[in-house]
Amino acid sequence: MIHLKNVEKVYRTSSIETLALSNINLHIQKKEFVSIMGPSGCGKSTLLNIMGLLDAPSQGTMELDGNPVNNFQDKALARLRNEKLGFIFQSFHLINDLSVLDNVEIPLLYRRSSARERRLLAQQALEKVGLSNRMSHFPRQLSGGQKQRVAIARAIVGRPEIILADEPTGNLDSAMGNEILSILQQLNSEGATIVMVTHDEAMAKRTHRLVRLFDGSQVL
Amino acid sequence: MIRHLFKLIWNKKGAHSLLIIEIWASFMVLFGVLSLIIYNFTNYLQPIGFSYDRVWVVDLSNNQDTVGVAAKNQRIFDMISAYTEVESASRMSNNTPFSANQMNNNVTYNKISAVPDMYETDDNLYETLDLKLLAGRWYRKEDQVSKFRPVVLNKVLAEKFFQDENPLGKILSKEDKKPFKVVGIVDTFKAKGEFMSNAPAIFVQNESMSDWVQPILIRTRPGTDATFEARLVKDIAALAPGWGIEVSYMTESRQNRHKLTLIPVIIFLIISGFLLTNVALGLFGILNLNISRRRSEIGLRRAMGATGWNVTLQILGEMWTLSLFSILIGLLFAVQFPLLHVFDLAAGVYLWAMVAALLTIFVIVTLCAWYPGQQAARIHPATALHEE
Amino acid sequence: MLLNYLKIAWKVLLRHPFYTFITLFGITLTLTVLMVLTSFLDHLFGAHYPEGNRNRSLYITMMMQTDSARESVNTGPYSFQFLKRHAKTLKSAERVSIASMFGFSNSYVGGKRIKLNTKFTDADFWHVTNYKFLEGKPYNDQTIAQGERVVVITDDLKKQYFEESTESVIGKTIEIESITYKVMGVVRGGPPTRVYTYADVFFPYTAPKSNYQNAGMRGGYQAIVLAKTPGDRPEIQAEYDNAIRQIPLPAKENGFTFSVIVAKADTYFDGFLRTFLRSDNEPNRLAFYGIASLVLLMFMGLPAINLVNVNVSRMLERASEIGVRKAFGAPSQTLLGQFIIENIFITFIGGVFALGLSYLIIYYINSSGLIAYADLTINWVVFVTSLGVCLLFGLLSGVLPALKMSRLKIVDALKA
Repeated sequence: MIHLKNVEKVYRTSSIETLALSNINLHIQKKEFVSIMGPSGCGKSTLLNIMGLLDAPSQGTMELDGNPVNNFQDKALARLRNEKLGFIFQSFHLINDLSVLDNVEIPLLYRRSSARERRLLAQQALEKVGLSNRMSHFPRQLSGGQKQRVAIARAIVGRPEIILADEPTGNLDSAMGNEILSILQQLNSEGATIVMVTHDEAMAKRTHRLVRLFDGSQVL
Repeated sequence: MIRHLFKLIWNKKGAHSLLIIEIWASFMVLFGVLSLIIYNFTNYLQPIGFSYDRVWVVDLSNNQDTVGVAAKNQRIFDMISAYTEVESASRMSNNTPFSANQMNNNVTYNKISAVPDMYETDDNLYETLDLKLLAGRWYRKEDQVSKFRPVVLNKVLAEKFFQDENPLGKILSKEDKKPFKVVGIVDTFKAKGEFMSNAPAIFVQNESMSDWVQPILIRTRPGTDATFEARLVKDIAALAPGWGIEVSYMTESRQNRHKLTLIPVIIFLIISGFLLTNVALGLFGILNLNISRRRSEIGLRRAMGATGWNVTLQILGEMWTLSLFSILIGLLFAVQFPLLHVFDLAAGVYLWAMVAALLTIFVIVTLCAWYPGQQAARIHPATALHEE
Repeated sequence: MLLNYLKIAWKVLLRHPFYTFITLFGITLTLTVLMVLTSFLDHLFGAHYPEGNRNRSLYITMMMQTDSARESVNTGPYSFQFLKRHAKTLKSAERVSIASMFGFSNSYVGGKRIKLNTKFTDADFWHVTNYKFLEGKPYNDQTIAQGERVVVITDDLKKQYFEESTESVIGKTIEIESITYKVMGVVRGGPPTRVYTYADVFFPYTAPKSNYQNAGMRGGYQAIVLAKTPGDRPEIQAEYDNAIRQIPLPAKENGFTFSVIVAKADTYFDGFLRTFLRSDNEPNRLAFYGIASLVLLMFMGLPAINLVNVNVSRMLERASEIGVRKAFGAPSQTLLGQFIIENIFITFIGGVFALGLSYLIIYYINSSGLIAYADLTINWVVFVTSLGVCLLFGLLSGVLPALKMSRLKIVDALKA
């Protein structure tokens, strides 16, 4: 599904070069649930960004479904993100001025679908995360766990094959975190490929495979 | 997408209220200034209807001299007509073209009543001012005998009275006075200059021009200068000592009339130009700040599959939606002008002003939002999403 | 403390040159428009040459005759004889001058035509106005009584008629409409915007064509009444009103019978409004003030809203700084004070720019000849008004965002 070959990422400012990732080879199978761990600043997020097509590697190739995406234009990348990928973030990134339902609809705005269809899909997604009774609330009125569930609904509303989660439980207490992980496991069992960055060993243990990073290199 | 923008704007209406007021006020200012400009411009497009080059106006006043005024008047006029420098001379009521004087009278035909500008003139005016006849003829000496006073109408007045009928020979009534008979139609006659509206006008033959002291219009031959003018004044003074004599050139009084119209327009234009520059710069600044505050939202949208163009379009769309709100409020105010007939302008003028103001606002807003929109499109989602 | 604020303010301004530019641009522009406008209004309504006594003068300019139903109305200036009888005799006044409205005439020298504005006056005119005589002297009651053919001309007309002569022209003659007059005095001319005193040539009222003999109430004359002090004016107005009430009505003039006359001695501004609105009824005046203030509000409000808008956005951007300050215990008032000082600071810089810009514009208007003898100035009244407006704008655009900011919760401010 996702195949990284000899990926290297260097950040350049005018004076300093920072090596964020070096020689990463990673193959993620379809329907796999992979977690990535490592200390702060080890390049987990960079790796996730590259897999999420938000950033391009400096060296090496990234393949999605067997197609190298290195040379894709912005428009093609946006389309891939929209159709194949779903994102979940540590800080939720909900738009405060939009209702829960409107927030969930966002990915559908960037593809051809009618308002009725958008609404229906968003409702289904919210039902799946158990928030169909909060549809017209605004993010400010929700607890952290509820917010993350909205974010998950938003990630799955476009029926992507891959879900990328960047410390989805980082801002939540353990009970809520467990709840979120259960939802992710449920999604995985229904066929979604999931890559999750986490700090939490216990969470990582509940996934199929663990990738450890240290100082930009793969150690496990 | 449009619905999405509406929701976004609507939910943030509190924060946007000042912006809405600002755009609304800009729209109102633009509407006012554009109404003025469009009114004057549409007037300007209509031909003035007479020729004023080389035409002088001699204004006379008899002051304390009350002896034989009619005879002196006649002698002055005969003398002026006889100069070789004079191509044509004529006498009319003191509402001469470009002067500040105005005379309106109620005239009725078949229960249709109008209040046109009325010019009492002799038979020569047609020639002196080189008026353009559309139908019929100008009144002549022979017309004096009939029991009607011959009149010439301009086209607007003729259309108001007669629509499709042939106006020639029709009889108009004027209160208890001697009725009028239409003998000719001229095209336009905008006595106060090009910027005057094409108002109804009626020319009435006056058979006793000498009885009162009236202005004399003179069309001079090309090349006539102040030397002749000095001689003219001297000759008149010799004929009628103690009379006031003032010669003015129509070209000059036309310039003065134009200044009266154009100076306020120019002042308003300059002030509102500066105001709008001010507003545009302000909008630009606010939008730029907003973009930097909304980096994470934009990053998120990019992650969700929005292209750079989608983001630019969203920023533009938000401003368009906001402007639309403001303009709708503005239109509620603006339509009152034609509905309540404030200032007595044609409804079309206001309508065009609304359209023009709307377009201008959208152009300004688009220009202001373009660069911030482009900036927003360049926001890197990977960094924007991890800033917090 | 204050110096510290100013230092911070200065740094903030330099940190965002673009927003500083926008704010300064808006302030400068608004203030410039305001200052040029006030300067122009001051030119129109203030007491300036040759009407330096305007503050203690009353103007009797228009009479309205109407029938009791107010259906037909005749309005116009007075006849000389009427003013002589009813205005000249006002006991509470220091002096009363009668002069005609300015008329038009032409004079011809060597194939060139000079356009003239003429005015017939009495001798008191030279006391009521403060025309400065560059050469010669004014005509007096005796000159007038003898009907001498003399005139007082302006320096501008002297230049045109006597071809830039640097010698004195007193005693030389000038020909106007085929009548020869002796030049008695040369005054420095005044701007045509002061219609009651403006002219190029001044004749004694006994000169030909003045029509001072006309009987009847209306004619071509107006009176300027000089009070001893500005405070005497209500008394004079009452006396004149009383004199008007003594006139037997209904009366008839030029075939028009009227039963009401409205004739007032107005201050300059009231008189201007009366002429401008062609009516003395209260609703019209209110409507005028209403529309004028609405237009003013629009023109002043727009830059103000803009300023507030930019300020709010700028302050939001600085929210975290505010959070830190609050977290370290700065009370709301201090924060409010800081923002207000900052805004006043920037407004004053704008004020200084505006002053320079207005000076340039006014200089241009004065030297362009757009208005002859234009004497627009940035005088201290205009300057103080502008500074006051400056302050008001600073507070208006400072307080609103600052209030909003200082109410921000520390947590929110730090988080955002």
